[in-house]
Amino acid sequence: MSTKHLERVISIVLRTGVVTSSVCLGVGLALSLIGAGQSSQLLLNVGVIVLLATPVVRVFVSIAEYISERDWGFVMLTAVVLVELAASAVAALMFNRKL
Amino acid sequence: MPVVTTALALIIFVAGVIAGAMGSLLGLAGGVFLVPFLNLGLNFSFPVAAAISLTTVIATSSSVSAVRSREHVINLRLGMLLEVATAGGSLLGGITAQLIEPAHLQKLFGLTMAAIAATMMTRLNRRNVILDPSVDPGSLGGRYVEQESGGEVRYRVKRLPLAMIASFVAGNVSSLLGIGGGVIKVPVLNAWCGVPLRVAAATSAFMIGVTATPGAIIYYGRGQLIPALAAAAVLGVQLGSWRALQLAPKVPAKWLKLLMAIVLGIVAILMFVRPR
Repeated sequence: MSTKHLERVISIVLRTGVVTSSVCLGVGLALSLIGAGQSSQLLLNVGVIVLLATPVVRVFVSIAEYISERDWGFVMLTAVVLVELAASAVAALMFNRKL
Repeated sequence: MPVVTTALALIIFVAGVIAGAMGSLLGLAGGVFLVPFLNLGLNFSFPVAAAISLTTVIATSSSVSAVRSREHVINLRLGMLLEVATAGGSLLGGITAQLIEPAHLQKLFGLTMAAIAATMMTRLNRRNVILDPSVDPGSLGGRYVEQESGGEVRYRVKRLPLAMIASFVAGNVSSLLGIGGGVIKVPVLNAWCGVPLRVAAATSAFMIGVTATPGAIIYYGRGQLIPALAAAAVLGVQLGSWRALQLAPKVPAKWLKLLMAIVLGIVAILMFVRPR
């Protein structure tokens, strides 16, 4: 069944994102607590960015999966979600400029 | 901005473990516990508390869903459909947060949760989903094997517009208050839309990654997210939710409902007594 395939792909994407960001955050936090300034900040920020990007990548992967299944209704729905995520980033940038 | 010390990181780590454990049992992602602790307990400003909470909420969503999607408990089609509403709500919440008086929103939020808690309490012994093998799940419903009884549960999704509205509102408060919004979605999906509690919790946890991301991006972009403290909280929450995931199938659904009603009541009170 195609649902099972999508479930597996989503599971892999989420696990990869969580493990990568957790390792970056863990090492970064340890380094920052022992006073290694620059490299710890870099690792911590990479960890945060990977964490925030994981759900976005998951939506991308879902769109690709629904395209390959020719399930156009759900291609549309997940594309709308992606547009909403992008709009949030744009809104964030606009608010930043105003402050 | 709070200064990052080893002691502070440790306190936040432990708070994360507790929030993560309770959250993953309830499908709440734990933000409802973490925000009041950081804001009232550690005296962090609301945006700083919300930013840390949202990152843990995303991490919980990702790690819980990585496991749950293999167990076939998440209703992916329902989740993806409701994400349209929840991401839209989150986007609008992020924008309206700049325009509306937060005190009004907190009171409204407290009232909503008190109402949901009362509803949960009156339905403790009632099965919202009947074990009926002849039910046609339709295009949005589903089936899963319940661990308590070993039987296959089939369900049909009822009142879809209500589920959409609840998801929209959940997205809205997520951006505003730094929580995942499961606290609204799970009870509505379970009590009124015919979705079994475990499926409702898993599907809500799955959607929460998308719900929390817009708000987190805004806080991070504004420099209100302290990466080191977010790291301590995220690692704590991961540990807590990982432990709770192993226990979850053994906890009876009735206890989960009772625990959830109590938690909702406490958070509702906190929303009213929070000093502005």
